[in-house]
Amino acid sequence: MSLLHRAAVPILLLPAGGYLALFFGLPLLLAFLGGFGLFTRGAQTGFTLEHYRALLTTQAYRDGLWFSTYLAIVPTLASLALSLPLAVALARTHPGQRLFNILYKVPLVVPGIVAAFVVMTMFDRGGLAARVLAPVGIDLPKLVRDQWAIGVIIATSWKAVPLMTLIIGGSLASINRDILSAARTLGAGPLATFWRIQVPLALPGITAAFLLTFIGGMGAYAVPNLLGPVYPLPLSVHMYVNAFERNNWGLVSAMGTVLSLISISVLLAYYRVTRGMRRVFGGEQR
Amino acid sequence: MNIEHPQTAAKDHRLPFIKADGRWISLGLGAAFVVVLGMPLLVTVLWSLVDPQVGWFAPDILPTSRALNHWSGALRNPSIVSALGLSIGIGIAVTILTATLALPTAYALAKLPFRMKRFVEVFVLAPLIVPGIIVAVGIGAIFFRLDLVYTVSGVILVQTVGTLPLMIRILAATIEAIPNDLIAAARTLGAGPGAIARYILIPLAWPGFIAGGLLTFVSSFEEFEKTFIIGSPFVQTLPVILWTYLGGRGIIFPNAAVVTFILLVPMLIVFFLAGRVLRDDVLASGMGKL
Repeated sequence: MSLLHRAAVPILLLPAGGYLALFFGLPLLLAFLGGFGLFTRGAQTGFTLEHYRALLTTQAYRDGLWFSTYLAIVPTLASLALSLPLAVALARTHPGQRLFNILYKVPLVVPGIVAAFVVMTMFDRGGLAARVLAPVGIDLPKLVRDQWAIGVIIATSWKAVPLMTLIIGGSLASINRDILSAARTLGAGPLATFWRIQVPLALPGITAAFLLTFIGGMGAYAVPNLLGPVYPLPLSVHMYVNAFERNNWGLVSAMGTVLSLISISVLLAYYRVTRGMRRVFGGEQR
Repeated sequence: MNIEHPQTAAKDHRLPFIKADGRWISLGLGAAFVVVLGMPLLVTVLWSLVDPQVGWFAPDILPTSRALNHWSGALRNPSIVSALGLSIGIGIAVTILTATLALPTAYALAKLPFRMKRFVEVFVLAPLIVPGIIVAVGIGAIFFRLDLVYTVSGVILVQTVGTLPLMIRILAATIEAIPNDLIAAARTLGAGPGAIARYILIPLAWPGFIAGGLLTFVSSFEEFEKTFIIGSPFVQTLPVILWTYLGGRGIIFPNAAVVTFILLVPMLIVFFLAGRVLRDDVLASGMGKL
C-alpha cells in the first residue's frame, strides 16, 4: 500500500503544483531573467545589468523603493499595535462578545478600494472629519495624498487589523490556560502575564500576521495610487506604468525581482524567528 | 481557577479582566466599532443618497436634500449590472477551479508521507508571500503571448493563483482530521481514488470546502489588482468600475457610494453565511502558520 501511495503522490500534486509552476513559478522565473535582459518582451538585448542600474540610479525609483518599504512597515506596525490589545480584549468574557467577534471581521470582506473610498470621504480636504471639526476650531492637516501617506496608512490598517487579530487571536486561544493561572498564582499581574507569557507564546501567530501584512503593504497598488502622494510613487505603481504604458518590461522585471527579494528575506527572517521559538519552547505552538 | 496567594491578594494584584472589567471592554469595543464601522457605513449611505441637483458641500455635515437618482441611475446602467453579473460569474468559476485543483494536493499533504513535503508546502504557499502585483505583471507578460490578456479566462486563471494557497491549507487541515482507518477500509474494500474522493473526502471535508469556497469567492469578488492588470479595460468587474469612479478623471463620490453598496451586499451575505459555518480556527489554520 505504501508503494501505491508513493506512486500516487506525484499524480496528486500535479494539478495544483503544475498550475502554480505554470502560472506562478514560470512568470517569476521569467521576471528574474527579464531583469537581466533575457527573454523579455520587445527588443532582445542579451545579458545586461542596465535595468538594475536604471533602478538604482534613477532618483524616482530609488525613492519608490524606500516608499514601498515604508508602506510595508508603518501600516504593519500600526495594525500590530491595534491588533494585540484587540485580540486580548475579544478573548475576555464580556457582554456582547459574540456580536463583537463577528463585527471585527467585517473589514476582511470589504475591498481595499472601498476602504480607500471611505478614507477619501472622511479625511480628504472638505471631508466629513474636517467639517465636523471645523466649528470646534480644529484644522486637520492634509491626510489624503499627503507626504507621509497617512491616508494610505489608515486605509491599509483598517483592512489589516481584522486579519492580524484573527491570526493572533488564534494563537492566543491555543495557549494552555493553566500556564496563565500558574503565572497569576506566582504573582504576575495582568500586564506581566501579557508581556511575559501570552506575547512570547503567541509569537508564531504574531510573526505570521506581521509577514502577511508587510507583504500586502509592499505590493499594494490601488490604495497608494488613490490615497498616496504624487511623489514618491511606490515601486508597484512604477511597475504598472512601465509595463503597460511604457512597455519597458526589463525594468519592470528588475523592480519585481527586488520587491520579491525583500519579501523573501522577510520570510526567511520569519522562519528564523519561529524556529528559534520552537527551540526555546519545545514542540510546535499551534 | 481563581487561586490566589493570600499575600498577592493583599498587595492588590487583581486578576486580569475580572467580571467588572467586562462591561468596560464592551463599552470600549462598542465605541470603537461605531467610529470605525458605523460612521463609514453612514457616510457611504448618505453619499449614495445625495441629490445631484443640490450636491453635498462643506460645511454641511448632512446633505441638505436627498434623492434616489444615483441608485436608479446605477440600476439602469448596463455596465454596472453586467459588472455585477461578471463579478459573480468569475467568482463562481474561480471557486470551482480552485477547489478542483486544490483537493488532490491537500489530500497528499494531509495524509501521505513523501520526500520534500516541506518544499511543496512552502511552494504552495508562495503566492501568498509574493506581492500580487508581481504575479500579475509577470503573468501579463506570458498572457500577451497566449492572447489571454484582456479576457475573462485570463482573469479567472490569474485570480486562481492567489486563491489556491488558502484553499489547499484549509482543505489539508480538514482532511487531516479524517481518520486514516476510514480511507484504509475503503481501499481494502476496493475503492479507487475517485470513489474515495466522492464518498469519503468530499462528504467529510465539506466544512473545509465551504470555508475555503466562501473565502475564495470573497477574495475573487473583491480582487482588484490582478484583475485590473490582466483584464482592464475590457473585463470590467465591480472593483474595476469603482476604481474608475475614484481614480481616472475626476472623482464621482455618489456613484462610487452606490457601486460600493452593490459590491458590499453580496460580500456581507457571504460573510454572515460564513459566520454560521466558519469557525475561527478553520480560518486561522489557513493563515496562522506559514
